[in-house]
Amino acid sequence: MTFSAEKSNMIEFKDVHKYYGDYHALRGITATIKAGEFFSLLGPSGCGKTTLLRTIAGFEGISSGAVMIDGKNMEGVPANKRPTNMVFQSYAIFPHLTVAENVGFGLRKDPRSAAEKAKAVTEALEMVGLKGFGNRAAHALSGGQRQRVALARALILKPKVLLLDEPLSALDKKMREQMQVELIKLQRQVGITFILVTHDQEEALVMSDRIAVMFEGEIAQLADPETLYRRPNSRKVADFIGTMNFLPAKILSEADGKVEIDAQGFGPITLNAEQVSGAASSTGASVGFRPETLTILFDGQTAPDRESMAVVEEVVYYGDMTYYDIKLDGSDQPIRLSMRNVFGRPVLDIGTRTRVAWAPGALVVFR
Amino acid sequence: MMKGGWFRVYTLGYLIFLYAPIVLLPIFAFNDAAVIAFPLAGFTTKWFTQLFDEPALRGALANSLIIAVSASVLSTTLGIFASRATTRYKFPFKGGIMGMIMLPLVLPEIILAVALLVVLLGIGVPLSLFTVILGHVLVCTPFSIAILSAAFQALDGSLEEAAYDLGETPISTFRLIILPLVMPGIISSLLITFTISLDEFIMAFFLAGTEATLPVYIFSQFRFPQAVPVIMALGTLLVLSSILLLSIAEYFRRRGIAKTGGKDTGGFL
Repeated sequence: MTFSAEKSNMIEFKDVHKYYGDYHALRGITATIKAGEFFSLLGPSGCGKTTLLRTIAGFEGISSGAVMIDGKNMEGVPANKRPTNMVFQSYAIFPHLTVAENVGFGLRKDPRSAAEKAKAVTEALEMVGLKGFGNRAAHALSGGQRQRVALARALILKPKVLLLDEPLSALDKKMREQMQVELIKLQRQVGITFILVTHDQEEALVMSDRIAVMFEGEIAQLADPETLYRRPNSRKVADFIGTMNFLPAKILSEADGKVEIDAQGFGPITLNAEQVSGAASSTGASVGFRPETLTILFDGQTAPDRESMAVVEEVVYYGDMTYYDIKLDGSDQPIRLSMRNVFGRPVLDIGTRTRVAWAPGALVVFR
Repeated sequence: MMKGGWFRVYTLGYLIFLYAPIVLLPIFAFNDAAVIAFPLAGFTTKWFTQLFDEPALRGALANSLIIAVSASVLSTTLGIFASRATTRYKFPFKGGIMGMIMLPLVLPEIILAVALLVVLLGIGVPLSLFTVILGHVLVCTPFSIAILSAAFQALDGSLEEAAYDLGETPISTFRLIILPLVMPGIISSLLITFTISLDEFIMAFFLAGTEATLPVYIFSQFRFPQAVPVIMALGTLLVLSSILLLSIAEYFRRRGIAKTGGKDTGGFL
């Protein structure tokens, strides 16, 4: 992550609404994306993230509100006149052209000489790791290679914003992880604002400076990955990002920036007010925590903060990690706990009673 | 008999029924006798020479070529518009409109021909090659749409968006991306509609007026027994050119599929 004191606003959404007939696809999106940022739109399918991306590219009009790019209102500006370029989910490589012709496609109206354009194409191919691929037929490329061609084709135009529509979803896991790292490096190298659409929360966490989590046409939370993971502002966001345990809780009192709660399995605890989030719900409050914030205590280990007793209900062994489903004493709901496996330490059996360490600071309360 | 034996016999019988008459064409075209019967009388090429010396036939051939070229170009052009519209855009009554356009495919041609004749005479259009071309466009356009909408359907919509995104206008995108990618379909459509128009009889018979087309000429010649071997020679040439045209059409269709990396899901051959 890079920080500078004043980054200009590259994209501004001002109360953007989008209707398809009666269907309200975007419900008042207001957000700002900074110049040079790696920004992700994350959400389940149908949440409007791709629609929002396409309003930046100019492929979708908006029903009301405004989309600004670099301070200019984009209303009425067609896709071919916007300072953005897109990497499509299907890559959209022109199958009848060679790799070099694909990459150089956007330079058709460029006033530079043919030799200079060819040089730019060679450089772009080199940048994405496809040196020497220029004369290949585009339809003979593998998925990963197509993606690189799509990247080179978009970046050669030096857009202000690069839009990526689920660019990694068609790749296998290994290739995807490799491309994630390459995309991050590429973004730092070129310094262009990247906006990524993804439904993969891990991908968003790994790659982004900031993430907007979207549900049903609205931004539920916009934050950096760490805040999103540690302080999700609703149960829905918490559920979507990683794994989170929930136990029923009662809010006893709130005063002077402190909140007293009584949570099942944990008992009465005092927390800081910023650990409480969400609007009051009818289903009652709950306390949420990540699996790795609980630790099983083995003989001779002591808890740095709090300690409770629990019973192991289920064991899932992953090699480097073991997942335990445990029940805290005083709770009737199983919760998941993850432990990094250390050489020489046994994996507990089902039914074992064990001590568990936890910390009030790692808890989040949802009203 | 081994497994599937009867099926083989059936297949063989079917193929003989289908192709034996066509095989007879060249045999009698080179046979040195005016009567179409075995035993064969000897080898000759005189029927072909006679064929090329017949001015009425040359006129009919010229008429047919003019009609076939015009009808194939017109119906393919209309086919491009209709296919583009039906694969790319949503509009009211799309299913009904497309159904109406495709209807000549299943309507008895004689009904169409009679209806057209009545209408054309009613509004006072004189019968000519032009009226035959009109009739053929009506018959050929559904074939053209069937071929072309498959080609347009196979196009990934994001290719177009990618071209806009890279700075092209809708018109230059059509020229640089869409047209080259559907070109095999266009060529295929031109060739197939050309073939259909070339050997179409009913429309030509009803709508041509005094100008005979090749099939109409052939039909009229059967009244004269001595002309039959010449017709055999003509038939031989027509079969060869049809096979050639359809092969070229199929070649372009397959190449188009290979080029865009799609899967072959059938076709005419």
